[in-house]
Amino acid sequence: MSRFRPFAYLLPQVWRMLWRKPNTVDYPFGPPKLPDYFRGRVVVDAEKCRGCGLCVRDCPAFGLKLERTGKSKFRLIYYPDRCAYCSQCETSCPREAIRLVDEFVPATTDRDTLVEVLVEKEPVQPD
Amino acid sequence: MSELIRSLVAWLIFPGFGFLFVCALTVEWIDRKLLARFQGRVGPPWYQPLADWIKLMGKEDILPVGASEWVCAALPIVSLAASLTAVLYIPVAGHTVSAFEGDLIVVLFLLSVPTLAYFLAGWASVGVYSLLGGNRSLLQYLAYEVPFLTALSSPAILSGSWSISQIVEWQMRTIWGALVLPVGFGIGVIGLIGKLKRTPFDIPKAKSEIVAGPLTEFSGRKLALWRLAIGVQTVVGIFLLVNLFLGGSRLSIVLPVAPVFALKSLLMVLLLSTISALYARLRIDQLSDLGWRVLAPLALAQIAVTVWIAP
Amino acid sequence: MPKTVVPIGPQHPLLKEPLSFLLTVEGERVVDSSLRLGYVYRGIERLCQDRNYTQNLHLFERVCGICSYVHTLVYCQGVEALLGLQVPLRAQYLRVLMCELERIHSHLLWLGVLAENMGLTTIFMYAWRERETVLDIMEELSGGRVTHAANVIGGVRLNPKVDQTTFDQIAARLRGMVAQVEEFQDMVLNERTLQARTQGVGLLSAEQIRRYCVVGPTARASGVDVDLRRDAPYAAYDRLNVRVITHQAGDVWARTLVRVQEVLVSMQVCQQVLSEMPAGPLTVKVPRRVPTGEVVSRAEAPRGELIYYLRSDGSDKPARVHIRTPTLPSLATMGEQLRNINTADVSAVLSGVDLCIACADR
Repeated sequence: MSRFRPFAYLLPQVWRMLWRKPNTVDYPFGPPKLPDYFRGRVVVDAEKCRGCGLCVRDCPAFGLKLERTGKSKFRLIYYPDRCAYCSQCETSCPREAIRLVDEFVPATTDRDTLVEVLVEKEPVQPD
Repeated sequence: MSELIRSLVAWLIFPGFGFLFVCALTVEWIDRKLLARFQGRVGPPWYQPLADWIKLMGKEDILPVGASEWVCAALPIVSLAASLTAVLYIPVAGHTVSAFEGDLIVVLFLLSVPTLAYFLAGWASVGVYSLLGGNRSLLQYLAYEVPFLTALSSPAILSGSWSISQIVEWQMRTIWGALVLPVGFGIGVIGLIGKLKRTPFDIPKAKSEIVAGPLTEFSGRKLALWRLAIGVQTVVGIFLLVNLFLGGSRLSIVLPVAPVFALKSLLMVLLLSTISALYARLRIDQLSDLGWRVLAPLALAQIAVTVWIAP
Repeated sequence: MPKTVVPIGPQHPLLKEPLSFLLTVEGERVVDSSLRLGYVYRGIERLCQDRNYTQNLHLFERVCGICSYVHTLVYCQGVEALLGLQVPLRAQYLRVLMCELERIHSHLLWLGVLAENMGLTTIFMYAWRERETVLDIMEELSGGRVTHAANVIGGVRLNPKVDQTTFDQIAARLRGMVAQVEEFQDMVLNERTLQARTQGVGLLSAEQIRRYCVVGPTARASGVDVDLRRDAPYAAYDRLNVRVITHQAGDVWARTLVRVQEVLVSMQVCQQVLSEMPAGPLTVKVPRRVPTGEVVSRAEAPRGELIYYLRSDGSDKPARVHIRTPTLPSLATMGEQLRNINTADVSAVLSGVDLCIACADR
């Protein structure tokens, strides 16, 4: 029988595939499977952020911006449409204030949501 | 009056246009679903071919500059008409619209018309890929048609009649054609794959080389009619092979006619889909090689054997 | 017979990335061809001069989608050489692991693309199914399937929860894949229609390979024995045994066989890395400014030898980076390969050379 195999080589495998479940996931009708270390949207813990600007300097897509809004107040702005989801900001932050969460659908119909103010505060004076 | 109504029902509903339209969509769905399952995918839902056809009917219909508008509009209609006329002489579930001695020849001639229309479509819709595809389809036609016609003549010689209904009657009396003429059946199936331009013989419409071959420049309603014509051609080819080799619509024990015919047609669809999933696409010179060096001598040998054993 | 010009144009079902071939065709024979690149030119070599070294890491990852990790690896090695840093051993082993995983997924992708272009859609689906296992492993390790962001200057940055049990699970999953890949090798050796389409097509002799400086599996399939993992080992390759596969035939079939067998070799290297993984830190501390100097760094990407030339002027932005990707010499041989062949063989030739136009255009 194996002498005839080259003439219909894939037949056994193809026949076996009929009795197995398909390999494809029925997203969006079924849930996607995300690993635990998934790089999604950027989120900042406002308590920890000091406005040092290291994340801004290291973002390859220029997706973060630090603005001084007063004598010692600052604002951190995030542009989700420019973000490359590389998590370099998470690595650069010395206080682990910024992290990437599980959300991965940034599409929106409202253009104003594409500019997000992540932190707006007056930094706490160090002791 | 009732004669006229009976003819109209036969042409338009069963086994004419309406029935064949539904069959073409069903066979296309089964084919796509089977192919998907063979490859480990889910496959389209049952209404997908119908949805595709309706969507195509609504799309914009343009042709390149220099293409002949009326020829390109007429070709899919001619192809569809030829296949629809051929089904009038083929017993569908034991029920033929009309039959006469020699209708096998007429049916085989009518089934060649869509192939020529396909080639002309490549020629008339001027475009680089279409011309290449048209040339290839003609070369392919020459390669498989001679063995195909020869192999399909062997049941006729064996049963002593050139009418398809008589061949089916003969098979019901004696034995399935495929069991007596296995080589003829094999060449018939290979020839049908070549005629329907399915893998491994989808050379004229090779997606990765010449985009879509002769039908590249067609869109909108013309393309919808072409796809319908190809679907009807598939169904008619399958019915023809079922009647000539698989015994039509009865098993040796008496069973209801329509489900048996449907089951045999489904077996043919399964066979064609499996073959499509197994092989890579051949090159046109390799197909000519195969057709003239292997298939034609085998078909002639089959005819010789048939003449020798015919009563 | 009149000559027509058939465009394998910027958009064509054969091509995954835009490229323009104009083939002069006479009947069913291709007589001549001309090539035009630049459709995916993004000016990366210019863009990198405006960004600092940390930002450039992510920029170079996006030169190519399939061999993204190797680009970052070569860049990091160059910058580490300029800084005079020694990367910890555990990081080097992890770099080798990611490189070999990337080689596996790239070759499986290519096998699927070749099969699809030959009309064998079934093998396309099966190969990409196996590729999913590898992509899931890479996603578990680094958080991304295609852009891993797993290299930093001075080491490796992975999922913090990765430990020895993760490595054992990865080793088990790779062992589960071996059976199907061996089926692919068997298929290449035995399946008649694939052999009919790929044997004798796209012949390149060893002398032509050397003249055009072709690298990678395309060169190894013509008998030219070059492999940077053995000849100029980088990362942890000097401690691992890598078997270099060569073939003498020089046609598309030989290239297919070389690549499928390289997948098996890569899986063995991954198993060795996972079992010998040393403990230790993942990165070293890196200063912001890089001292003046120039360096050439290279690695074996899935398609061949990838070379980066880096020049720094003492600031925190590079002065000049030049990338030589392995697809460029392969594209130079297309003129020879596409002369006097059947039109139907064009798809075999174009698939056999494993084009990555995004790499070639930068």
